[in-house]
Amino acid sequence: MKKEYSKEILDEIGAKFPQASVKIHAPRRTYIRVPRDDVYGFAKFLFEEKECRLSIATGIDKRDGMEIIYHFSHDPSGTYYSIKTLVPKDDLKIKSLADFLPAANWIEREIHELLGIDFVGHPNLIPLLTAETWPGDLHPLRRDYADEHKDLKVEKSTEER
Amino acid sequence: MSVVRILFSYIIFPGFIFTALVGLLLTWIDRKVTARIHWRVGPPWYQPYADFLKLLLKETIIPEGSSKVLFLLGPIIGLVAMSILAVMLFSMNLNPGNTFVGDLIVMIYLLALPPLGIMIGGSASKNPLASVGVSREMTQYFAYELPFLITIAGIILKAGGSIRFGDIILAQKASGPFLYSISGVIGAIVILLSAQAKLGFVPFDIPEAEQEIMAGPYIEYSGVALAMYKLVRAMMLFLLPLFLISVLWGGLGDWWAILKFLLIIVLIVLIKNTNPRIRIDQSLRFFWLGIGILSVVGLVLAVYGL
Amino acid sequence: MANAKLWGLKKSPWVFHVAAASCNNCDIEILDILTPRWDVERFGIVLVGSPRHADALLVTGVLNRKSLPRVLRVYEQTPKPCLVICVGTCTCDTHMFAPSYNVVGPYDKYLPVDVYIPGCPPKPEAIISGVVKALKRL
Repeated sequence: MKKEYSKEILDEIGAKFPQASVKIHAPRRTYIRVPRDDVYGFAKFLFEEKECRLSIATGIDKRDGMEIIYHFSHDPSGTYYSIKTLVPKDDLKIKSLADFLPAANWIEREIHELLGIDFVGHPNLIPLLTAETWPGDLHPLRRDYADEHKDLKVEKSTEER
Repeated sequence: MSVVRILFSYIIFPGFIFTALVGLLLTWIDRKVTARIHWRVGPPWYQPYADFLKLLLKETIIPEGSSKVLFLLGPIIGLVAMSILAVMLFSMNLNPGNTFVGDLIVMIYLLALPPLGIMIGGSASKNPLASVGVSREMTQYFAYELPFLITIAGIILKAGGSIRFGDIILAQKASGPFLYSISGVIGAIVILLSAQAKLGFVPFDIPEAEQEIMAGPYIEYSGVALAMYKLVRAMMLFLLPLFLISVLWGGLGDWWAILKFLLIIVLIVLIKNTNPRIRIDQSLRFFWLGIGILSVVGLVLAVYGL
Repeated sequence: MANAKLWGLKKSPWVFHVAAASCNNCDIEILDILTPRWDVERFGIVLVGSPRHADALLVTGVLNRKSLPRVLRVYEQTPKPCLVICVGTCTCDTHMFAPSYNVVGPYDKYLPVDVYIPGCPPKPEAIISGVVKALKRL
């Protein structure tokens, strides 16, 4: 039953977004690769019309760009639709999903502070998890990060309290 | 009575030291019975005394910006009140002629001083969690004091309308304890539950909810001041069942009183171990609607002599 | 009199649990030792709600840049004399997280530690034996 339900959605995706390339990984997990500019419309389609909720977003630094995956969960059928995009390294910008999807707010802050991707249109893009004294332009999860934290001084008191 | 004798009775027996020692022993009984109910071995018999001695060793930290006098005054009020109450209870039970008009009201005021001490001390610590604890303590105090006072009014009526504690004891000696009547049983239930709330035991330990507000009004106390607070609670655990027995169950004249006392302690510990903690609005509703109406029924029955 | 007070400290250590960004595995084991199976109240150990009531701080979790000021502040708020007991290998020598960008070193660089209890997570018996060893050293 679940395989057929997923086929119906995939046919609809194929009709509306012809540039998307779909790969069915497992009966309940589907990866859909979309170009960077279509992510916003696609996510809006999944969230508003198909009753999917954003579960998590992940980011990784690959050789030909930074890949962001938004994982959407379709709860009535128990399937996951993951939207993959590739952001080129010399132009690290992508449109933020935070204006219609409140769940994307914090996870985009975390991806920004750890990988350096700028989310255009995000209301509050300040660091979330790193310490208050961590420099804002040092992104630790990049491939070319090489122990720059060794020169940072360890602060024993917080600045904002 | 000579000054030495008065000082002896207020400080050593049955005043401060005797009540403190027996009260700490009763807290050990409470912890051991609780542990046995949980199928585990509890602490050894010297545990509360070790706790008290250890707390004397630690430094007392007073928060910056709080009033030193009020911070340290909170527990002292409770200690002094409980010592005086101990002397009054013992002396009036052992010779009921030694009483004055209105001393029952004095006893009720003395029983009201430890929560007041908690409120003063908790407000003097400059901590928002302590203020939440203090407001909960105040709400709960209004809750449980009302049925308590209505029951006391019923007891005064049954004793022939006199507000002397000695007359209540003599009336019980003459015509049997007040407990052996319907209004007496209702009164006992009300005073027992009010005592549970005054002592701060589950299900009414809302001001000191450890998982919610991190020890409530006691949060900034350490060292000697905390030791005094624990001592006040221990002394209340000793004196409140004594008060209940004197007022409703015939007084401390004979040796059966020890068994009655142990029964009340066992009831308090059982109620403590079989109930979850209730919310502050549920507590208010319980004491004003449930127990309050029960106590009014008891008062009406006492008027008709039942 | 000092001997009596020291006896009191040995027989009733009150414990406050400081979970500084741990994976919560050690926290679950610390919770276990308060349950009836490894009943730790027979040593007088009680879990208290405020660091001002505590005699021993059970710290878990790797020390990182963000939690270091907070852990230091909790240590300052605890009235001395107090024990610091490090539970878990992450606290003893930062375990596998040593090259990370956020880790600032093991706990004994910033706090005076009394007992180290290694293990990932240490068994409840190991935690109890560690706490008893710390008490015997007093």
